[in-house]
Amino acid sequence: MPSAKITGIVHTRDSAATLEAALASLAWVDELMVVDMESSDHSVEIARRHGAVVHQVELVPRIDGVRNRFVAKASGDWVLVLDSDEYLSDDAPELVRGLIAKQGQSFDAFALPRYNYLGEQVMLGGGRHPDYQIRLFKRGAVLWPDAHHTPPVVTTGPGRLWEAPPGQGPHIHHRNYRDIRELISRQLDYALTDLYPGDPASFDFAAYLARAQQQMAMRSEPETDGDLSQAMALVMAWDAVMRGLIHWDSLEPRPPLNMLEAFPRAAGQVPRWEIRLRRFLGRHLALRHLLKAVQRRLAALLPKRG
Amino acid sequence: MTSNLLTVIIPSRGMLPLLEQCLAALGRSLEAAGAREQSTVAVVDNASRPPLPPQRIAAAGAELIRLDAHHSFARANNLAALRWPAEHYMLLNNDVLLQPETIAEMLALLRRIPQAGVCGARMVFPDGSLQHAGVVFGPGEQGPYHLLRTKPSHLMPRLEREFQAVTGACMLIRGELWRELGGLDEDYPFGLEDIDFCLRARQGGWRVFCCQGSESLHFESLTPGRSQLDRPSRKLFMSRWQGRYTLDG
Repeated sequence: MPSAKITGIVHTRDSAATLEAALASLAWVDELMVVDMESSDHSVEIARRHGAVVHQVELVPRIDGVRNRFVAKASGDWVLVLDSDEYLSDDAPELVRGLIAKQGQSFDAFALPRYNYLGEQVMLGGGRHPDYQIRLFKRGAVLWPDAHHTPPVVTTGPGRLWEAPPGQGPHIHHRNYRDIRELISRQLDYALTDLYPGDPASFDFAAYLARAQQQMAMRSEPETDGDLSQAMALVMAWDAVMRGLIHWDSLEPRPPLNMLEAFPRAAGQVPRWEIRLRRFLGRHLALRHLLKAVQRRLAALLPKRG
Repeated sequence: MTSNLLTVIIPSRGMLPLLEQCLAALGRSLEAAGAREQSTVAVVDNASRPPLPPQRIAAAGAELIRLDAHHSFARANNLAALRWPAEHYMLLNNDVLLQPETIAEMLALLRRIPQAGVCGARMVFPDGSLQHAGVVFGPGEQGPYHLLRTKPSHLMPRLEREFQAVTGACMLIRGELWRELGGLDEDYPFGLEDIDFCLRARQGGWRVFCCQGSESLHFESLTPGRSQLDRPSRKLFMSRWQGRYTLDG
């Protein structure tokens, strides 16, 4: 059986600092595309040196909205999408091809686990691993909504998506932040350029404060990630509050903010059992995978209806 | 011909603090041999979780190959050898702390004896007992074992001699021989691929020695899951080689 053709796609915007590693890790794909958003550094030069076909795209606030357009230009049977600050391991060629060969007939898309680095530290607690990302899929089977960091949709249905357990496929390695300062700067940038609902009547500041509390409770896992985990939890809680204020500021007419009343209401919106359960599932991912595997096996044993 | 005199390959699954000590001792040994500038040190991160931090490996003067799935010891070494071709390869375990004079001694032996293709090193456990001074072969199911293992090293002979095999925990190999045999046999999950390599080398007319001049430190088998992988490797080795090696003693 001939092996499936794979197209690698990387989106860039002044990405020279990290692009070398990303493209070097995709040197083995059958077709390499770089979609550049008006970079003023050497991104395009680096892309051409790596033999990529470079597409230019106008500057837009959110990259996700333009992804679909360029996936359609790929010629591969499968598409592998990396961000410019991500890279794959040295055994990725055999792992990706192995995944497609083993599971490609049953699934249209794979969610790959991702290691997120903050400086030199890989963040494993607080649900930051496996941090599944839908990045390997059959051309045409996945669509991105126009919003920051919103998961793409598998058009053929969730049953056609497989989360590749760590160890059975490649990881994405994401060197996302040099330090906490960069995290703060980027989160603010995302919050300022994201889309917010335009109906003032549906605005509820307490919902943002509740999300801030959730972030504080779930992201902080110092026994796994040390103080960085607490710092990250605080930034993400602050991010939720900032988003609430940006949303409120964008509405016309502005609804009442009701900050003092929103705090106690937010506290009631997040049940403790939910935080405990989500932290448990976040920490015991191996158990979760085990349960899923058992569930799949049992489903396969049951007689099929119809 | 490549200008790289030596590529040292160290597969590692986690164990970062130990690996850093290993790299520091290796650096001193390369320096003492005058080979630091002409050598490449390659760490193969064999599916550590979390991954080994690239900047700390770079700070220790080593290159890094990252593998997301766990591969055999043979595959990990072969990948690095392919990426950094050299006149010599040294296979080194992450739990071996080399003495400063060890690499110079091993390189000198290969220069002195043109037919020597492989050179091992004498190693001791932290309590001073012998870990490795050459590999010998026993009858029946006994197969290969370490000569004088756990005997007090200071009481054991230091005569430099030829063996049928030496351990891959610290093994210097001539590049020509490595390429001739296509590296280690990847059919072995973990263990005895080194002994297999030595036996294949001898079949090709190469000779195998063990340097006895210095004693490096080897903690041995600290990698998690190692013992489970040993058994299928041993089974494979015996099915291939039993009756074909010479019994020692």
